[in-house]
Amino acid sequence: MTNNKTYILGERALVIEIAQSALTQQQQNKLFAMHTWMREQKVFIDIVPAKTTITGYLMHSQDPDFWLQQMQAAWDNIEPEEYQPTTHEIVTHYGGTYGPDLVDVARLLDLSQSQVVELHSSQSYQVKFLGFLPGFAYLGDLDKQIQLPRLESPRTHVPKGSVAIAEDLTAIYPSESPGGWRLIGFTDTVLFDHHLDTPSIFQPGDIVKFIPSKESIC
Amino acid sequence: MLKTLKGGIQACVQDFGRLGYRHLGVSQAGVLDPLAMQYANTLLHNKADSAVIEITVGLCQFAFLAETNFAITGANLGAKLNGQPLELNWRYSASAGDKLTFSSSKDGLRAYLAVQGGYHLEAVLNSHSTDIQARFGGMAGLPLKDGDTLNYTPHPPLPSVGAALPRYSQTLRVLAGPHSALSAGLFSQTWQVLPQSNRMGIRLESDKNLCHSHSIPSQAVMPGVIQLPPSGKPIILGNDCQTTGGYPIIAQVIDADLRHVSQLAAGHACSFELVTREEARVASELHAKHLAQLKIALNNNDKKYNE
Repeated sequence: MTNNKTYILGERALVIEIAQSALTQQQQNKLFAMHTWMREQKVFIDIVPAKTTITGYLMHSQDPDFWLQQMQAAWDNIEPEEYQPTTHEIVTHYGGTYGPDLVDVARLLDLSQSQVVELHSSQSYQVKFLGFLPGFAYLGDLDKQIQLPRLESPRTHVPKGSVAIAEDLTAIYPSESPGGWRLIGFTDTVLFDHHLDTPSIFQPGDIVKFIPSKESIC
Repeated sequence: MLKTLKGGIQACVQDFGRLGYRHLGVSQAGVLDPLAMQYANTLLHNKADSAVIEITVGLCQFAFLAETNFAITGANLGAKLNGQPLELNWRYSASAGDKLTFSSSKDGLRAYLAVQGGYHLEAVLNSHSTDIQARFGGMAGLPLKDGDTLNYTPHPPLPSVGAALPRYSQTLRVLAGPHSALSAGLFSQTWQVLPQSNRMGIRLESDKNLCHSHSIPSQAVMPGVIQLPPSGKPIILGNDCQTTGGYPIIAQVIDADLRHVSQLAAGHACSFELVTREEARVASELHAKHLAQLKIALNNNDKKYNE
């Protein structure tokens, strides 16, 4: 059904790669169902979904070939429906000092600020994968009407809680960091707390909705 | 207590690293040279995953505020106890008030300092490793600063004893990566280590960089992965690397040779040799064998002393 390849990366990382630049929703859900299946096998110490791949790190390097075959067989049989995501509602303050790039974003897109906010907050997003920083979730897909490239020169300090967009994705900075995404809003929601056993509120596959706060531009 | 008198260039608490949280964007962190850490812990009869201090470059100073036994493994960074030079990979005892100093060396980059029984620290996400980028773990998520203290349980002196750590090499054995079509020029030349190298990655360049214009969708990466950005200057990812990366992966340093990467300093040269997965497995097994032999020898040695 899907073009995919499987391979061993290094001595014990097993990779399933879907040979496309972007996944259909069905393929995406199949990838998340695969995540669940891999977790149930209890042989992987880490399982990392990414844009078009899922990688499992075997606890030991014995028999990677056997587990690669098992993964391929599971992939051929798994149903996308098996995955049940959690939905998160993120109250977001859009524009002004909370979203210093909203004015420019609206101007570049030839839209009003409230149209940008409307387009950003009227749909739900899926956590495609996490990376870059602990708790940094790549959320897609952004409406085509508000897609823009990253800033030409990245900021050295993006505040924790910044809601940002870049290309076909949106994200929330879970901690202060350098960053090149365009900042359109801000949330008080704590996304990552290293003191907790489940440190990130977002898990791969979860659904995220942005709810404009009363004081937002909208 | 071990008091940091001078933090030096970078000294941070590390263990095997933070596993099981990569899917949340949490880096592995952990020692760059696991074998050196295991040797130090074995010399002290510590648990294998007992945290150690990873010292980069050197130029740091510590004071032991209670008696203990300690070991320094890895590269020779000119360690001295109260001004007396110490042998590398030996176990020594220290009394309250003793001062441990490190200078530096042009030949090596990292040394590991362990005390008997390990340092008393709170685990963060099941690890004592310092995640310097994310600022958690180890000592409040930071390298050791002047005045920082680490607690340990005092121990009476044990006899001095040493081990021979396998030599470091500047030839790194690698397995082919998924984008190895771009790797042809990797093996035919020597690479120079750039000054921008750190725990996140070792950056290399040569006279004939492997420039290209390929990009890949971000995928999971790990320590030892050799990424090739369009500049053609390879990056060997270190333990503090991000969990995903979007540059082609041309090769992967075998687990047994990651320790060699830990000693690559700016200006050093390195080269690559392609091996099979079977050769990689044998190399890791050899490390396990060395460690097992060291444990047996130590247990015999220390038993004699107790009798």
